[in-house]
Amino acid sequence: MNGWMGKILRVDLEEKKHEIEDLDEDIARDYLGGRGLATKYLYDEIDPEIDAFDPDNKMIVATGCLTGTGAIAACRTVFAAKSPLGTVGCSNVGASFGSDLKYAGFDMIIFEGKAEEPIYIMIEDDKIQYLPAADLWGKDCYETDDILRERLGDPWKAKEYSIACIGPAGEKGSNIAAIIIDKHNAAARCGIGAVMGSKNIKALMVKGTKGIKLADPEGFVTAMTDVLEHVKQSHGSMESFPQYGSAGILHIYNEVGMLATNNYQTGVFEHAADIGGEAMASKHLRKIRACFSCPQSCGGIMKATDEKFMVTSERPEFETVWVFGADCGNNNTSAILKAHDLCNQYGMDIISVGNTIAMCMEMFEKGYLTEKEVGFPLKFGDPDAMVKLVELTCKREGFGDEVANGGFALSHKFNHPELFVGVKKLEAPAYDPRVCQGQGLNQATAARGACHNKGYTMGSEIFGLPSLGGKTDPYATEGKAQLTKSLQDATCVFDNTGTCLFLILGLWAPELHKQLVPATGIDYTFEEMMKCGERTWTIERMFNIKAGLTSKDDNLSPRMLNEPMPEGPSKGHVNRLQEMLPEYYTLRGWDEEGKPTDEKLSELGMEW
Amino acid sequence: MATRKEIRVDIGKCTGCRHCETACSLKHSEEGMVNPKLSRIRVFTDFEREMAHPIISGPYTDAKCTSRYNIIMDGKEYESCLLCRASCPTRPFFTEPDTEIPLKCDLCGEPPDPNCVKVCVHGALQLVEVEEDDAESA
Repeated sequence: MNGWMGKILRVDLEEKKHEIEDLDEDIARDYLGGRGLATKYLYDEIDPEIDAFDPDNKMIVATGCLTGTGAIAACRTVFAAKSPLGTVGCSNVGASFGSDLKYAGFDMIIFEGKAEEPIYIMIEDDKIQYLPAADLWGKDCYETDDILRERLGDPWKAKEYSIACIGPAGEKGSNIAAIIIDKHNAAARCGIGAVMGSKNIKALMVKGTKGIKLADPEGFVTAMTDVLEHVKQSHGSMESFPQYGSAGILHIYNEVGMLATNNYQTGVFEHAADIGGEAMASKHLRKIRACFSCPQSCGGIMKATDEKFMVTSERPEFETVWVFGADCGNNNTSAILKAHDLCNQYGMDIISVGNTIAMCMEMFEKGYLTEKEVGFPLKFGDPDAMVKLVELTCKREGFGDEVANGGFALSHKFNHPELFVGVKKLEAPAYDPRVCQGQGLNQATAARGACHNKGYTMGSEIFGLPSLGGKTDPYATEGKAQLTKSLQDATCVFDNTGTCLFLILGLWAPELHKQLVPATGIDYTFEEMMKCGERTWTIERMFNIKAGLTSKDDNLSPRMLNEPMPEGPSKGHVNRLQEMLPEYYTLRGWDEEGKPTDEKLSELGMEW
Repeated sequence: MATRKEIRVDIGKCTGCRHCETACSLKHSEEGMVNPKLSRIRVFTDFEREMAHPIISGPYTDAKCTSRYNIIMDGKEYESCLLCRASCPTRPFFTEPDTEIPLKCDLCGEPPDPNCVKVCVHGALQLVEVEEDDAESA
């Protein structure tokens, strides 16, 4: 195969054995890779009703068909499993882990069963070692990464490995635990770190010396450099993102009044200018950093300035700055860096931690949580209390033990589920769907729950990107079903090829198609490629239906539907989900209960 | 005065993306393979020193240096190995993994048209024309 390595590493954790099998070429062709490929294998191999921590749940690590090829920003890896939240869990991460996995010869790893004792797994091409990790259990992600590299005995050799590990959060089964790659990047959402922990896998190390074969190398280089020239025309990709990170667009969302603030009580944050990408860069940025083969370089190294929160951390991305900034009502940027770094150190999902803490702040201010329960006053805008609770959450100590269960569980335990902002138990991101109607539809229908990265409708509703068909009115519901569906399908293609969705300002699906054909040698038409995306969306849906989810789960939090935005440019708006949902089901080829119809499945060449 | 082309490396601009490694290896592969381990340029990152530095393959030696030293630049201390181009037992890069045949940068042929420079969008790698020095041309 070209583009793909054509091999799967199937690991039996109980026996500490593995087999190398051929990748099913038909499935690869139909799903491209990454998210689609992993979900298809999960769907075929596990019972979707299974408990996430049952040893019969499988964890799949999958790369895209372009990951590691040098296609623009094709660096992504997905970690997929039945999620602790009850959905199909699929978490996507950059850095170079996926590229190195392909250079080791594999498109995908399937982990089955559960190791008896904590282990870490070292993959060096075909040599797979299962090594004891009892002494690493309890260590945070930074310590683990350092120790594993030191064990190689040679700092130069150590540079050749990518490491994915969990911290104490994943070990202790937190619903909001992440997998951390090389200290800096996180496969964070859906509690995937807890699934890894439940299998007693502390870390994965990978180094590869093989090459990825391309079908038409010259055609690929021409296509890739053309796409690069295209990306270079984008101010967002070449100026804003490298200089200010993804948080460089934060002020735009504040200006339209959709920057969720104080647990979504409003869409306007008075200190937005103090925390946005420009402010973060001027105060803290030391070095710009990129993921593998990405020109956009939104990572970096930042250093805090406030002595109380002194830390050197990875540059926080948009969601981090938002959640530990606006959503917690905090304008202390050093505290944002500190909270961010703690989450990376202990292996936590930043959106979920911050969103849950913001909800607790609202509960505290309304008297639903007491100082006795929390241990200290927990008010919006208090950076000390915020960082303290992040730390407790990371360590599952004190009230942090409750936060570590995630916002959905906590809101029910303390009897105020109406204050939880999320979908399908997953805590929501920064974008208030009372403004962007399409975004509400996207978050309501995304398989893993409230996720902006499954259909970034703001590309049209706010930015009006020509590649997405231009500007649409954010407050209008008309046309949003179609917009949302096409964006969701295209996003699947990004995730399946292994391309970073953050490149949205610089490139779109046609640019992926341009590189896909010479890389794989498969003569996909553009429409066929997009069908691979639609198929992915559909298989996720089928998994969730078998897992017991229904159309009732395609919903938003009551605040988004019933509480009009209280102030700012979007004052008075709510999300009008029901105006869009029936049309969306029709466009998807789903019946009134949200189930894919036989006609649709037959069109996509799929079956239950 | 005769001139020649060479690659100028500005490490301050390197983001550590390693796109150059993929482009180099593909250019030099007869089978159409992308493999950074076969690249004539490698990028190493050192976050504690806040740096990412591309190294273009230099001479091959089978012996370790008998003396090493550290260099202080802008208040930060670096091992000499960090800035060296050689492929050696201390830093065994720029050899084919299977055969250990040394890999050399050839600027992608004559006239020089290096692939690594083409994909380096932030200007860490640039092809520049320099005057040939007398000793070298003699």
